[in-house]
Amino acid sequence: MKNFTKELVDDLALKLLIGLTDEENKMVLDEFDVIDQNMELITKIPNISKVEPMTHALDDFTYVLRDDKKEESIEIKELLQNCDKYEGREIEVPKVVG
Amino acid sequence: MKIENTIEDLHQMLNNKEVTVEELVNESLSKSKLVQKECNAFVTIIENPIIKEVNSNLLSGIPYGIKDNYSTKGILSTGSSNTLKDYIPFYTATCIENLEKCGAIAINKTALDEFGMGGTGTTCHTGIVKNPWNKLHMCAGSSAGSAAAVAAGVYPFALGSDTGDSIRKPAAFCGIVGYKPTYGMISRYGLFPFASSLDHCGCLTRSVKDAAIVVDAMKGLDKNDQTSWDSSNIHLYNSIDGQVKGKKLFYIQNIVDLENYTNPSKELKEHINNFYKTLDLLKKDGVEVEGINIDKALLNAIPSVYVCLSCAEATSNMSNLTGIIFGPRGKGENVTDMMIDHRTQGFSPLIKRRFVIGSYILQKENQEKYFVNAQRVRRLIVDKMKELFKTYDGLIMPVSTGPAPLLDNPKDSVSVDDVSVLEEHLQIGNFGGFPSITIPNGFINDLPVGINITGNCYDDINVLNIAYHLESKMPYKGQIAPLKEDNHE
Repeated sequence: MKNFTKELVDDLALKLLIGLTDEENKMVLDEFDVIDQNMELITKIPNISKVEPMTHALDDFTYVLRDDKKEESIEIKELLQNCDKYEGREIEVPKVVG
Repeated sequence: MKIENTIEDLHQMLNNKEVTVEELVNESLSKSKLVQKECNAFVTIIENPIIKEVNSNLLSGIPYGIKDNYSTKGILSTGSSNTLKDYIPFYTATCIENLEKCGAIAINKTALDEFGMGGTGTTCHTGIVKNPWNKLHMCAGSSAGSAAAVAAGVYPFALGSDTGDSIRKPAAFCGIVGYKPTYGMISRYGLFPFASSLDHCGCLTRSVKDAAIVVDAMKGLDKNDQTSWDSSNIHLYNSIDGQVKGKKLFYIQNIVDLENYTNPSKELKEHINNFYKTLDLLKKDGVEVEGINIDKALLNAIPSVYVCLSCAEATSNMSNLTGIIFGPRGKGENVTDMMIDHRTQGFSPLIKRRFVIGSYILQKENQEKYFVNAQRVRRLIVDKMKELFKTYDGLIMPVSTGPAPLLDNPKDSVSVDDVSVLEEHLQIGNFGGFPSITIPNGFINDLPVGINITGNCYDDINVLNIAYHLESKMPYKGQIAPLKEDNHE
């Protein structure tokens, strides 16, 4: 059995820029052994190292390269309508470069 | 109410001037308000929809619902998440544009498990969706609001999306039809992505033919979705003839054999017995139905493969939810802290759990062992199905382990038990992009249950035909949940 800790769970969440409350951390931690046990079922299938991983639902996509065609793009004003902070046509954020 | 008819019947009634589009829209809005009050099925009710003229198109003037993870220009589209609680898109999903061109009229946006990442209908940011057959029970998810609304007769169809079974299980629990066609038949452009390699668009209706009508209208090659394909030579509705004699179906024997369960519940026994009785209806009409045993280790891995792939893909797809360029801005001294605050406050606990699982699977030390091996097992499962589809016209299985569970006992946590494969087997349809349809096949404890038919890719007509025939042999087509104010409370 692996040793899953509160710190590990917090770290896994923070890697995705998500914070957990103590209750949320406990919920995940309490079932992490079961999660891991379930994942182990995948490793129980024998002789799969040579199987080509299936990354999509269909294997027979036909991709067609289209000719370039000039199209109107969406107005910047429309694109910004769901942004809480912007100035003119630019999104406002705290200074990034020191 | 007239709105409770099927699309086919409503079209005829509109043409015969037995009802007007305005009357249908008003009935649908009025019923929406009742279903909102009783079942909490909607995020938005569109109070003043544009009335359209009736023409030769079967969908002209027909009201419908849209799952709230489809982008609709100018109309709130939240994915049932607080991270997008005020989000108003600047474009409309391709399949909705296609429906609009046919003259269908959107009445509301339906609630779902947050971004489709749940199977109970209990994690919507607007609250729990209740089953119109009995409000103490869940609808399943994630297309919970769509299923509740169609079952209650708000309109003849609503859009759903299906990554694991999110159309087909709510359809079973609500006593209606749920159909996801072959992957890529309907463009995913404008569907908020959950796990792109598994996500399918589809619909919920109260008849198989209505499902064919709706998907005929939604489908088509789309330059905005490179995985969509040209299906212009496929006419689902016009191809249904109900002829099934000589067809061969299989079911997965080791999942539906009660002897393989320790202490099967009374509901499970009834559900399986009802399944076998339904098979007899097909056998009487010349369909061969055989039980096939599949390697237990492969079957047992199905739920884990799904969890592994869907959680991992979701962590990537949801990385654009930062609150910086859209969504409520988080607090913080710098951009990283602002994003952390937005995501911490915005996501519900259950979706965070899935993200943590995805994060764990994608750690360098786990990637090959879990993520890549899950993709390998996915191929083995799909290859096995494709091998069987060479002999058989389709797979027929009971949906879930019985009717809808009680809301105060939702199973939305991970577990290891002997019914988990029966509960989750519809995920096979997503692994292979197979066309798959659920239809109602009875009641247990006064709650509906369903049966599912899945076929090989591009063989949608065959799947619909078998479902249509079976539907005609049972009394559940077009049934409406007898929703009354304050029933069961």
